[in-house]
Parts: sequence; C-alpha cells; structure tokens
Amino acid sequence: MDNAIEVEALVKHFGSVEALRGTTFSVNDREIFGLIGPNGAGKTTTLRILSTLISPTVGYAKVFGVDVVKEPVKIREMISYLPEEAGAYQNLSGHEYLEFMAEFYDNGERSTADMLEEGKYISGLEERLNDRVKDYSKGMKRRLLLARALMMKPRLAILDEPTSGLDVVHAVHVRQTIRDYVDKQGVTTLISSHNMLEVEYLCNRVALIDEGVIIAVGTPSELMDRFSAENLEEVFMEATKLG
Amino acid sequence: MGNLRSLVVKEIKELIRDPKILLGVVLMPLIMYPLMGSAMNISQQSMMRAMASASFAVYNEDEGAVVDSFLEYIYANNTVHTIEAGSLEDAIMAFQDTNASTLLYVREGYSDNVTQGFKAYLKLYANLKSLSIVETESPNAVSGLINLYSYYLSINKIEGYITESGGAAEPDAIRNPIRTTSASIIKGNVLEVAPSAIFSIVMNQSITLPMMTMLTLVFAIQMAATSIALEKEEKTLETLMTLPVSRMTILSGKLAGSIVVSIFGAIASMVGFGYYMNSAFAFAPEMTSMATDGFSLGLKPFGLALVGINIFITLISALALAICLSVFSDSVRGAQSLTGILFIPIFIPAMILMFSDIKMLPTTMQWILLAIPYTHSILASKAAFLGDYSAAIGSIAYITAFTVVVLYIAARIFSTERILTSRFTLDRIRNLFRRR
Repeated sequence: MDNAIEVEALVKHFGSVEALRGTTFSVNDREIFGLIGPNGAGKTTTLRILSTLISPTVGYAKVFGVDVVKEPVKIREMISYLPEEAGAYQNLSGHEYLEFMAEFYDNGERSTADMLEEGKYISGLEERLNDRVKDYSKGMKRRLLLARALMMKPRLAILDEPTSGLDVVHAVHVRQTIRDYVDKQGVTTLISSHNMLEVEYLCNRVALIDEGVIIAVGTPSELMDRFSAENLEEVFMEATKLG
Repeated sequence: MGNLRSLVVKEIKELIRDPKILLGVVLMPLIMYPLMGSAMNISQQSMMRAMASASFAVYNEDEGAVVDSFLEYIYANNTVHTIEAGSLEDAIMAFQDTNASTLLYVREGYSDNVTQGFKAYLKLYANLKSLSIVETESPNAVSGLINLYSYYLSINKIEGYITESGGAAEPDAIRNPIRTTSASIIKGNVLEVAPSAIFSIVMNQSITLPMMTMLTLVFAIQMAATSIALEKEEKTLETLMTLPVSRMTILSGKLAGSIVVSIFGAIASMVGFGYYMNSAFAFAPEMTSMATDGFSLGLKPFGLALVGINIFITLISALALAICLSVFSDSVRGAQSLTGILFIPIFIPAMILMFSDIKMLPTTMQWILLAIPYTHSILASKAAFLGDYSAAIGSIAYITAFTVVVLYIAARIFSTERILTSRFTLDRIRNLFRRR
C-alpha cells in the first residue's frame, strides 16, 4: 500500500527566495498529520505544491501514488484544500456557495444534494446559510469553508491553519468538527499550523519544519520523549537549537 | 458542460449582485441617459418657449416714408416695445428697463438710402442679463426677420429695374445667378443625394455600431478585470484552482460570465441612450428618408452576420486581454487601472476612423493603426456596410489571429502558477528602473 502522501526532497524558489530546501516526509492513509513551524517555515508552500497550485523547482510529491506535477487533474479529484486566508463568494448565500462547490464533485457516486446536506451539517450554520456570505462573521465564514472542504469526503483534506484568527468559540468548533468528521469518515488529513496545542490535540503524527527543511517527525508523545519536553512548543524550541 | 454552466451562473450571480456593477453597468445607463434626455428636453422646450415669447424693442431715428412699411412688417405678429428717446444713449438706457432682449436701431437716412439704391444700415443691441442661450439667440431671430424683408425688398427692386429696362429675366436668378446641387457616387451607382446626407446614414449605421461595440468592450473589460481581481481580493482563487475542473473551463466560465453581464450593460446603454436621443431631440424635425432608386445602402444579411462575428471576436480578444492583465493585480481597483491601458488602442482608432478614411492618413499612421487589432474591428464594420466583404473578412481574420494568440497566453497563465504568483506593483516598476 502506497503512502497517502509522499514528499521527497522538495525545493521551491520564488525568485531569489528559497522557500523549501529539500523537504521530505510521508503521511499514512487515514491519519491526521500535522506540519508545524513558525511563519515563513515553508508550510503553506508545501501545501500549495500538494494542492497542485504551484510546482516544485526540484523534487517530487505524490498523493496516493499520483505525481502532483504530472497528473494535477487526477490529484484535484482526490483532494480538497482549505487555504489559510480563503474567502467565499461574497454575493452568494452560504447555501449557494456550498451547492456551487458540490456540483464539481457530483460524479454519480454522491449527488450534489447529499454533499449539500453534509455541508449544512458540518457548518452548523442552519438558517444563516440562506444569508449572503458578506454578512458572515470571520468565524462563520471559516465554518462554511471547512464544510466546503469536508462535505465531498475527499481522500485527502489539506487544511492550512484551519483556526487562524478565530475566537475561542469558533476555534473549538472547527477543531471538534475536524476531529469528529475525519475520525468518522476516515479522511487522510494534512494540517499546517503554528499553534502547537492545536496540533497536539488533532494530529496522530507531526513533522516540524523550519527554514524549508523537516527537522523532526513522529507522534506528539514520541517527539516529547525524544526532546525531553513537556509539550510541542518545547519540542520545537529544542529541535531548532539542534538544527 | 455541467461544470461550465455552474461557473457561468456563479460569475453572473457574483457580478450582477455586486451593487457597484449593478448600479454602474446596468442601472446607471437606464437611469442616467433618460434623466439627461429629460433634462435636455425640458431645457430645450423652455428655451423654445422663451424664444417664441421673446420680445424686442425698436428705436427709430428715421422719419422717411419707406421706414413705415418696414416697421409695419416688424410689428406684425411680434411683441415690440417702441422706445421714445432723444438720443441713442437714452434709447439704450430705456431699452435696459424693458424685458426685451434685443434693441433694433433704425438710423436716420434709412428711407433715403433704400429709395436711392444705397445700402440701408440697421443695428441690433443684445441685452445679456444672464448670458442664457435665449438672450444670445434673440438677435438672430430679429436678423432672420430682417433678412427675409431684405430679400423681398431686393426682389421687388430688381423686378422694377427689369420692367424699366423691358427685359424678361427672373429676379431671383439675378439675385442668385449660380445654384449648385450635389450627387454621390457609391460603387459606380450615382445617387441624387448630397454626400453629407450619405455621411449621416453611414454615421448612423457604420459608426454608431462600432461605437456601441466599443462601449460593450469597455464594460466587458471592466467585468473581466473585476471578475479575476475579485477572486484574488476575496481569496477565492486558490480554492477555485484546486477544483476538479480544467483551467480552460474556468477561463471559459470567466469569459462567458463577463460577456453575458457586459451584454446586459450594453443593452441597458442602448435602451437608455435611445431614450435619451428620443427625449433630448424630441423637438428636432424627423430626418427625411433618402430615395436611393433601388440601390440599397446599408447592411445586407451577410454583412450583418460579418459585423456580428466581428463584434463577438473583438469582445473575446478584449476579455482575454483584460484577464491576462488583471492577473497582475491583487485588487479590483488595481486591475481596473491596469486594464484602463486597453482603452487607448480601443478608442484612438475609433476616434480617428470616425472622421477620416484610413487611406487618407499618412503612411506611417496607417501602418500603426493597421497594427492595432481594434482598428480592424471598425474597418470590418465599415467594409461590411459598404458591401466590401473580402476586406471585412480580411480584417476579421486579423482580429481572429490576434484573439487566438491572446487566448493562448491567457490559457497559459491559467494553467501555470503565474495566476497566483504574478504581481505588478509600483514597487516592482521602481525596482526595475533602479536596477537599470
């Protein structure tokens, strides 16, 4: 059985900036994998490569054995990507937005109506789904976007900073939804975050990334043992000292 | 097809529901043009009423017999104030106290000059209290009356001289010995119509059509630029690009959505503009129809089809070009500024070719204009109108080739990461110059 994700020696240049410098890691099927690191470490660049938005300068990445550069359309059928600063169409209602997105995944196995029902349930926005997105709070928008990302039951969900900028109430709702839904549906999930507590709560395994290089991989408890730390924040500080 | 339909419906909903677009592109032309037309109509009608009721004053210094028949003519059917004064200065002072806008001053010696066959001099003073059109036009109304009187006076005198000399000439032929009439030759057919009348019809059908095309293009460019920039500004582009649909379908959805909304805008403009023309110029007499003796001047079905194809391809190329440019901006405002550059190659050929033929221009200018694809949009319409189908097809072929190139570039941009990573900011331009 192939890994769900296989990333090998990824290098990415943006002009003179080297965002990734040989990133390597793999993710098992049906696990929640966390990519953690500070701002500018290369988390989003890695996720964008896996989502077929950008291509690596050197190296390769595969999702369920499919190369992201060679067969991007096939990859897009298997994944759903939630960017960190994603927005929704302001002049559509939440319902219209979910319906618009669901139509692209209506392939006979699951109907638009089924996905829409799932989306409504995941978002928990109920009657507010009939309102235009422009009238939503930041937290409501994020719940809608998370519902969009999960409702079609992708084989791989790629979530970039899913709770970034949210208040405690919405952040807890989003984390709870990810955990419940992913457990129930068995969706492989790759999450990036700089919130170490969130990652510890959600992820089976974690990779620490710094300056475009993976510096440690393991379960949260393994990493805490290895670096004699009490939490992932301390792990990260120790790991970067060694690096 | 299902995916394309979803994308087009989403595009239309997003654009139409945007209050700025709905107001600016669809509602404003429907409201503004009729309002402007009504305003012009109201002001024209009030001006005409004021003109009709305009009164004038007469100060007469002549005491001869001939002046009486002239004054009788002036007084008939007009409101005339008679100024009684000892001098012209006093008469002018008295005139300013009346509500008359023009003073007709008849000098002493008028009767003698007319009787003895010399020129008689009259003078008009306009009292410009508010500098309105009515005040400035008022002397012209009086001049018109005087010219008519002058014409019949001269005809009467000529008749007298002819009778005295025992000749048999026409008085009007002596007064205006030469008369010119005009005809036009189009494609070997002689039309007994002045070229100016032909021009007005060409203006109506051949120029108005490209002008409306230009208007549609402007709307379409704004739509396309807004559509891409909104995706970037609202951070929806990344999600859109990860959907299981080809980039060409996304591009086609954007083009189709923009075309549909811009056609709404163009129709709204045409309806609004039509209402404006009807109401603003309701006072003007109907243009007389032109007898063309079986020779039809205008668009035949094939020509009309060519014009339609021409407009459609031009629209696609402008949209694709707008999309290519708007990719380099992160905001709607930035995208609209960038795509504003496109208005130059669209409007300059339109303005030049509206008033002159391309062959009349200097050779260099001709080549520059011919290199601009949007020149061919106008040339194709003109050629189709004149029945020169090979020239129309040639121009359409040029625009098509250009459109294919632009679409290819747009598709390339959409299929690579440039759509997400390209930026064109002022800082980049500054850096470019610093490096050099």
